[in-house]
Amino acid sequence: MADITLTATPVPKAGLLAAIAAVFRHRALSSAKVRLALLILVPILALTILAPVLPIQKPLETNLRAMMQFPSIEHVFGTDKMGRDIFSRTLAGVQVSLLVGFSVAAIALVLGMLLGTLAGFYGGLIDRAIMTVVDIFLAFPSLLLAIGLVSVMGTGIVPVILAISLADVPRFIRLQRSQVLSLRSRAFIDAARTVDASQYWLMTRHIVPNTIAAMLVAASIAAANAILVEASLSFLGLGIMPPQPSLGNIVRDGQTYLEQAWWISTLPGVVILLIAVGLHFLSDGVRELLDPRSR
Amino acid sequence: MNYQAPVKTTLLEVRDLRTEFHTASGTVTAVDGVSFAIERGERVAVVGESGSGKSAMAMSILRLLTHPGKVAGGEVLLDGRDITKLSEGQLNAIRGRLVGTVFQDPMSSLDPVMRISKQMIEPIMRNLRLNREQARAEAIKWLGKVGIPEPERRIEAYPFEMSGGMRQRVMIAMALSCRPQLVIADEPTTALDVTIQAQIVEVLKNLTAEAGAAMMFITHDLGLVARFAHKVAVMYAGRIVEFGRVEDIFANPSHPYTQSLLGTIPSTSMLKSDRLPQIPGLPPDMRYPIVGCAFKERCAAAHDRCLREAPRLTDRGIDHRAACWSQHGLEHGATLKVERPERTNKPFEPDGSVVVELNALWKQFETSRKMVVKAVNGVNLRVHKGETLGIVGESGCGKSTVARLLLGLEKPTSGDIFISGRAQMVFQDPASSFNPKMTIGDIVAEPLVVRAQGNKAERLEAVRRLISQVGLDPAFAERYPHQLSGGQRQRVAVARALALNPSVVVADEPTSALDVSVRAQIINLLVDLKQELGISFVFISHDLLTVRYISDRIAVMYLGEVVEYGAAEEVFADPRHPYTKALIDAVPVPDPAIESRRTTTPLQGELPSPLNLPKGCAFASRCPMATDRCRAEKPSLPNHDLSRQVACHYAH
Amino acid sequence: MAEYTAKKLAQMLVTVLGVVTLVFFTLRLIPGDAASAMAGDTLSGEALQVLREQMGLDEPLLTQYLGFLRNLAVVDLGETITTRIPIAELLLRALPITLSIALATIVVSVALSIPLGTLAAYMAHKGRNWLDNGLTGAAMIIDLMPSFWTALVLLLVFSLGLGWFPASGQLNWSDPWALVLRLALPVIVLSLSQVATLARITRTAVLEVLNEDYVRTARSLGWSELRVLFRHALKNAALPIATVVGLSFGNLLGGTVIVEFIFTIPGVGNLLIAGINSRDYQLVQTLIVLYALLFVVINFATDLIYKTLDPRVQF
Ligand SMILES: Nc1ncnc2c1ncn2[C@@H]1O[C@H](COP(=O)(O)OP(=O)(O)OP(=O)(O)O)[C@@H](O)[C@H]1O
Ligand code: SF4
Ligand code: SF4
Ligand SMILES: [Mg+2]
Repeated sequence: MADITLTATPVPKAGLLAAIAAVFRHRALSSAKVRLALLILVPILALTILAPVLPIQKPLETNLRAMMQFPSIEHVFGTDKMGRDIFSRTLAGVQVSLLVGFSVAAIALVLGMLLGTLAGFYGGLIDRAIMTVVDIFLAFPSLLLAIGLVSVMGTGIVPVILAISLADVPRFIRLQRSQVLSLRSRAFIDAARTVDASQYWLMTRHIVPNTIAAMLVAASIAAANAILVEASLSFLGLGIMPPQPSLGNIVRDGQTYLEQAWWISTLPGVVILLIAVGLHFLSDGVRELLDPRSR
Repeated sequence: MNYQAPVKTTLLEVRDLRTEFHTASGTVTAVDGVSFAIERGERVAVVGESGSGKSAMAMSILRLLTHPGKVAGGEVLLDGRDITKLSEGQLNAIRGRLVGTVFQDPMSSLDPVMRISKQMIEPIMRNLRLNREQARAEAIKWLGKVGIPEPERRIEAYPFEMSGGMRQRVMIAMALSCRPQLVIADEPTTALDVTIQAQIVEVLKNLTAEAGAAMMFITHDLGLVARFAHKVAVMYAGRIVEFGRVEDIFANPSHPYTQSLLGTIPSTSMLKSDRLPQIPGLPPDMRYPIVGCAFKERCAAAHDRCLREAPRLTDRGIDHRAACWSQHGLEHGATLKVERPERTNKPFEPDGSVVVELNALWKQFETSRKMVVKAVNGVNLRVHKGETLGIVGESGCGKSTVARLLLGLEKPTSGDIFISGRAQMVFQDPASSFNPKMTIGDIVAEPLVVRAQGNKAERLEAVRRLISQVGLDPAFAERYPHQLSGGQRQRVAVARALALNPSVVVADEPTSALDVSVRAQIINLLVDLKQELGISFVFISHDLLTVRYISDRIAVMYLGEVVEYGAAEEVFADPRHPYTKALIDAVPVPDPAIESRRTTTPLQGELPSPLNLPKGCAFASRCPMATDRCRAEKPSLPNHDLSRQVACHYAH
Repeated sequence: MAEYTAKKLAQMLVTVLGVVTLVFFTLRLIPGDAASAMAGDTLSGEALQVLREQMGLDEPLLTQYLGFLRNLAVVDLGETITTRIPIAELLLRALPITLSIALATIVVSVALSIPLGTLAAYMAHKGRNWLDNGLTGAAMIIDLMPSFWTALVLLLVFSLGLGWFPASGQLNWSDPWALVLRLALPVIVLSLSQVATLARITRTAVLEVLNEDYVRTARSLGWSELRVLFRHALKNAALPIATVVGLSFGNLLGGTVIVEFIFTIPGVGNLLIAGINSRDYQLVQTLIVLYALLFVVINFATDLIYKTLDPRVQF
């Protein structure tokens, strides 16, 4: 026995589960960023979900007696040239945006972690093969890669999701690979190797868990980015095609009437911005919460 | 203030200096009312643990603190002018010109994208009012003086083209080239090898003496203080707790902290059976106001008054002051905790059996540019059961590579390794050796889980046992690594290494990231475990005094080879290889009496590149005794059954 | 330097080959083939076959691929399929416009963002955070504004509302002032997000460098704050800034497509959209390769600049 025993004062338990539990208690909400993010995102989400039961005109419904109307109580964002309710169309567009955002983030996260871990952990031929392809993809400016891909795959929600994901996956692979590489040389890996831990053990116990936080942060930024890219594609007439509303094509529709009815183009744009800002604050907050040192 | 120095000769006078850092988690009072003076030409050492406010104090003197640091009060009189009241412009006329500065980390203290010439010449032009040509000549002269070979050529180098030792020489040349009257050196040799440290210290000492400049030298190495300083200031928790002439401080320390600090260093005269004195606990958290004496929690002489009132510096002799309510501090030896803990079983007796054997071990690495680094070249070593083998040598000599080979973390290029039982490791950097996402309990249990030993309940029990075995409360199992101090983490590292009942534990610089007082705690722990469990240790360190204290046998490595091997006492008492001699010579001893008697000629030059090894003796390029035979013919270690081996043609 | 340039050049050529190959085979993945996709329902039977032959789609894949490579190598870009105009001719008109917009944007945004970011970093370093906080917040929001939306809002306010800038009309190269007015809004829109990105990275880089030991060394030698900032801090911070300028050029190229579309500027972006809408795959594949090529060349240039800024780069 050693001669002195240092005593430990109890400290709050931590870990992923605890972090999630904390989100529902005050800890997460004590982060100003998370509060702000929720303040922005929750109402938008709620309105989007509740849209079908709200007392508003359906997104595709036209009303020739109420064309290009200035925003009012009845039409919060006004109406367009066919008398469609912009607010209702915007909410439908948000649905598309969120679907695209989350799908892209999920695809990029899963493929990025898988291929990035393989490349970083095993190195050699696998690494070189994966990284060669990644470098080729990264040689394209990302919006132009997406444009090129939708021009081949066609318009619609699935091609848009695939096109944007294909532009994002290489970035995720790179990030994951560099994380794995720097973790691989850490002393705790050596410590595990001296007790003959298997490669599988090293990967699942030591490497991957330490990469998740950064990847989640990257994923929420990628979601915001995907929402912007989808809107841009639809705005250019290459993404989601009318009459199905998307934030980008609503703005595009309004462009012609910018002078007579500015609200058609500008208001949905504000919603895009709000969602993107909300997601960014969320990613910042998540980063702070997942970092054990910040506790 | 009863420091009675004639006004004329006082260069720097600091009065009641207070420095604060305003951080999100509170105001840290890093310097809390410090007063002292430096005479012209005098060398004053400032010692203390990390966090005691040494650097903050030094930076405050030149107002080099950056936000959130701030000088909150006091005066700094340089030549009678109060620096704290000067404008930025007046201050800039003093910095560099009157006061030169040398910082701790030579790797980061020079601008990486600027040639040395540019960084050196322009300050000289400005301060000494010389033209470019003259300034250049001056710069080259100083580079030569600090020992840079071929200064005319090297002045055009970029910092990255130089070794750490060379860069520190450049820093010194820069600091001295404008003929300052005061040089402030903040741990200038901490990042360097002992041999290089000895050279640098020699250069600093000679050149400042030659120029008649005074020096303030910050360090945590008491040996260097003894070698170097005229006066010593001991800092603790932001205050000077003792100040005096170096002889007095070492011979009659009167503050309990100074006394303990001196006690924690393994001295050359110390017996192996003695336990290293240690200071319990940790320094106080400077975010909170300290009531009473800051040292009271760790002081064996603390009494009532210490809890209530903070002591001020009072006279203890000529030029000797200490801040302690007790006139003589600890009553000698009696209250410094040195006795052995209660033992449950008989100490292990080594029986001479071999647990590790390395035979003709070679390891070469291929670099990205297809060059071959010859890291380990034909090493034969044995570790006996229940003994500690110390490995010493300069940075890059292959110590860590031998450790990694032994642990199976690297595959040898050739040669074989025999281990009876299992080898485990304690790493140098307590921060990166744990997975930050795992609790201490999971970390210590990991080896058991991987080897599928016991069921969950048994493992839990084992973890509790291991954690208390290294002197921690089992409640630490719930914590995460970042919630532990450096010393606590190193204890956990030891617990993890013990989990699988290893026959040998390899510790690569296990204490070099720790403060002196904590260092002694870890060393005592390792010694206890060795005696209690009969485990063998391989202890790698550049701290020769510690290696001597902890090791039964020592291997001295140079350029990937073992050049001397033998019982620790013998090797230290009678080094036979010229390299071993130089290495031991370079180590400063914390005793000014010994240091002043020593005539050290530091080992010249630096470790050659392991890319192209010399044909003959690896040490020939730096050996004072080298002959043509040495350069042509390689000396080899004799039969490794001998208990004392030296690889030198001329060693007796 | 020569060895380094050669190495980077070789790397660049490999990437370009990869890019070209990827574009070629991706286009061959179109269900059916490019000809029938192009024709939609308008052509059938023989006419479709003629179109296929015109596009060389009847030949074996490898022959097509090699032919494609050869044509690119000798800068024979072919003709648009629908209108039979040589693509090179179209590019000769469109490329200078797009490049001028991109170049003007880079100049404007570097000139604005570096002083702004440096100032914010310096003030934060001294503990005065308001500019830093304001800048960081504003930069984040500007960065997240969809550029087509920003463009429309600016168009609405400054062209349609205040009438300061023309919203459309011919590009007149002989009247520089008119040209500046015509291109001002597009450049402003693109600069906004570039400034946001670059100011942020400048701020981070400079702030980091200001905390480096060698900055303290420079101060300890008695150099003034201004000299420390310019000689040491900015010079070292230039390294990460250069990298980001190079990388953000990719976003800039994407942005030109959008502003050209909104401000009806006959640049490469509008050519691309027209090509996609008329399903002219010959044109689309050429343009996508062109964009990638521009981006790759800019990154190559960034590497060279980086090497001259940082003596430590060995490779
Ligand atoms: N993985 C590697 N790849 C290339 N070279 C290496 C590698 N590991 C070590 N070396 C080189 O081998 C030589 C010996 O290194 P090693 O780390 O064993 O020295 P050391 O004595 O432990 O030094 P220190 O005291 O600095 O810890 C050095 O020149 C080092 O640069
Ligand atoms: S004042 Fe008291 S507690 Fe402080 S060092 Fe002296 S005896 Fe110890
Ligand atoms: S062999 Fe020669 S060079 Fe080598 S250590 Fe002995 S005397 Fe020096
Ligand atoms: Mg080492």
